[in-house]
Amino acid sequence: MSLHSFSSARFCTSKFPICFHLSKPSKFPLFSNRSISFEKIPTKSPPPLRSSSTQLQPMEELPPKLQEIIKLFQSVEEPKAKYEQLMFYGKNLNPLDTQFKTKENKVEGCVSQVWVRAYLDEDKNVFYQADSDSVLTKGLAALLVNGLSGRPAQEILRVSPDFAVLLGLQQSLTPSRNNGFLNMLKLMQRKALELLIEAEKGNGSYGNGQVVNDNSEKPVENSNSDPKVGESSGVQFSSKKSNEDSSSGLGSRGMRIKEKLERELSPIELEVEDVSYQHAGHAGVRGSDGETHFNVRIVSKEFEGKSLVKRHRLIYGLLDEELQTGLHALSLVAKTPSEVEAK
Amino acid sequence: MMEGVVVKLPSFPFLYPTVSPSSPNCRLGFRRFSAPLSAAVKEGSVSLGHSTRPDFPILHQKVNGSNLVYLDNAATSQKPTAVLKALQDYYETYNSNVHRGIHYLSAKATDEYELARKKVAAFINASDSTEIVFTRNATEAINLVAYSWGLSNLRPGNEIILSIAEHHSAIVPWQIVAKITGAILRFVSLDENEVPDVEELRGMISERTKLVVVHHVSNVLGSVLPIEDIVIWAHAVGAKVLVDACQSVPHMVVDVQGLDADFLVASSHKMCGPTGVGFLFGKSNLLLDMPPFLGGGEMISDVFLDHSTYAEPPSRFEAGTPAIGEAIGLGAAIDYLSGIGMQKIHDYEMELANYLYEKLCSVPNIRIYGPKPSDNIHRAALCSFNVENIHPTDLATFLDQQHGVAIRSGHHCAQPLHRHLGVNASARASLHFYNTREDVDEFIRSLDDTVSFFNSFK
Repeated sequence: MSLHSFSSARFCTSKFPICFHLSKPSKFPLFSNRSISFEKIPTKSPPPLRSSSTQLQPMEELPPKLQEIIKLFQSVEEPKAKYEQLMFYGKNLNPLDTQFKTKENKVEGCVSQVWVRAYLDEDKNVFYQADSDSVLTKGLAALLVNGLSGRPAQEILRVSPDFAVLLGLQQSLTPSRNNGFLNMLKLMQRKALELLIEAEKGNGSYGNGQVVNDNSEKPVENSNSDPKVGESSGVQFSSKKSNEDSSSGLGSRGMRIKEKLERELSPIELEVEDVSYQHAGHAGVRGSDGETHFNVRIVSKEFEGKSLVKRHRLIYGLLDEELQTGLHALSLVAKTPSEVEAK
Repeated sequence: MMEGVVVKLPSFPFLYPTVSPSSPNCRLGFRRFSAPLSAAVKEGSVSLGHSTRPDFPILHQKVNGSNLVYLDNAATSQKPTAVLKALQDYYETYNSNVHRGIHYLSAKATDEYELARKKVAAFINASDSTEIVFTRNATEAINLVAYSWGLSNLRPGNEIILSIAEHHSAIVPWQIVAKITGAILRFVSLDENEVPDVEELRGMISERTKLVVVHHVSNVLGSVLPIEDIVIWAHAVGAKVLVDACQSVPHMVVDVQGLDADFLVASSHKMCGPTGVGFLFGKSNLLLDMPPFLGGGEMISDVFLDHSTYAEPPSRFEAGTPAIGEAIGLGAAIDYLSGIGMQKIHDYEMELANYLYEKLCSVPNIRIYGPKPSDNIHRAALCSFNVENIHPTDLATFLDQQHGVAIRSGHHCAQPLHRHLGVNASARASLHFYNTREDVDEFIRSLDDTVSFFNSFK
């Protein structure tokens, strides 16, 4: 077959797809006659990429409210419920006055419009306000506003954006939106830094540079004159850190749960924490009267020899009546005494 | 791997119409020809969407737990197996640099590359393949015209007419060049049908006009402009016309001689071809007078230390090693499209366009941009829209996450248009011939669910 009669080759190629039927060698007979051998050149394989998750900032270093928010989102597994929770945050965000919707306050890299404003209170804690025209983005902004407000600038600056992974939201949100989230955080940190620098210049100016002659700027006059910005949002962030015995603050269901578990499992350690307030946002809770979500940590001999699944089933079985009457979810830690000692 | 192709082939015979030499589809001399249709198969019994879907492997997957419904074709189209095979075949069997090689591989690569050029020319009915310049994409093609033709032809006070609905790629290069040359940009606004005002355009054309830059089909409004008329008016005053055909070439018959366009641009990736290649059509006499755009190898004739002479068009405008495999892939895409027939594709998409528009209208509080379809107004198979009180990004996110429906949200590279419409962003669903009525149904169902979800939170 002449290789130089390209005109014939041209017509051949127009039937390309059909040529795929044929086994390879017949297309280029010349090549099939030659056996070409290849020797693999050993190359150094590239070092494995270190995933950022192995180097996550320890949770304890994050502002306490942010830790709570993270735990909350971790416990909500269904993506749709996560959205609802996010939107609930956004809905309860304090409105941002139009005068603050400036270019300096706008977050870059967001598909929707997002503004963030920052100011200091008398104790040099940073407070944020934000708004967005997209409810999901507003939710993300609210998450940050609630999580970071009321903290000293240095603590805010130490927050690494990796925690976004912990939220489990990145599966729920597109990369571009997640980048907007990172940019929001960056902007908030930048503003915290600016405020810090300005305050350290030491002439008692509390505002961030671009807002002038504004009375509502007076930090004491935060919308509630209360460092807990979250308060007005209807979602309480008073940290209900559980102690050894956290029967204080438990309602009737909480007490019943505690009682039942104590009776049936004779635990050496038992902590029951009502975290229903954290879930006030999403559908599982609507229409019920609180006392829907609990964290339970229980150490008991009864778990010996039982797999994790069996342990959880045991607890659910004991609390079946509660589950039928409004208890929505339990976050369980069930250990044996030896497991706890081994730590 | 080869076996996979054999299985798919049986679907092709449904698509090839029997073609007579005079039919507009039969421009391409090298088009492949399959066996005659089996008598048992009635043509038209299966919709074009259903019959072509098997050719697009990417459509058959789940995203976020739901079946993918891909409705972002105006942003980029999907590629049929034939194109993928062409690319693979190129790299596996004859990849080589083009134009100067002596050896077998290089000769074959050159041949296929130039054949692809001929296919493009035939596809848009250019009179000669030397009128086709391969570029990286349509944007680069427009820049080529701006920097090459624009810089050497525009004088202070000359006017360039555009519409406010142009894609950024059709606006920004001219802003840059206008600043350098002292030319002035003038913009045509929308009429009451939300279509660029053709009468206003006509009125704007004067002896100061040197160039009219218009889209053929709008990527936001879905409207189609009467290019033939615009060209007549422009030529009457000696002005040239640059047609942005990115949204028309993939979806309908485009005939540059019939339109008498001076320049026309399109991107391969929107017409089932690979990314990385696009083309500029320019009338021979215009290209011959244009200075080079990018300098380098391939576009020269002789190179000395103090000066160089340049090649004839189209090589003059193709500096450096081109996207050879990709151009060949584009050729394969053109073969595939021609195999179906652009008129058939257009007719099917018209039906789908009307169906989409109709069903979208049923969504409460929806605002669709562009003209209402009627007997004399045809819409392309795309709809940009907003639902009251819900940000389009929220819509698009939820549709993707909960329903696997892919639409676009943003300004679609048409910020001036969105500013005129008074919105920051819009959502857009855009179809291609491999979409089906069921895709539209699923989209609407998902959209209803999404809207309810967000409304329940107010």
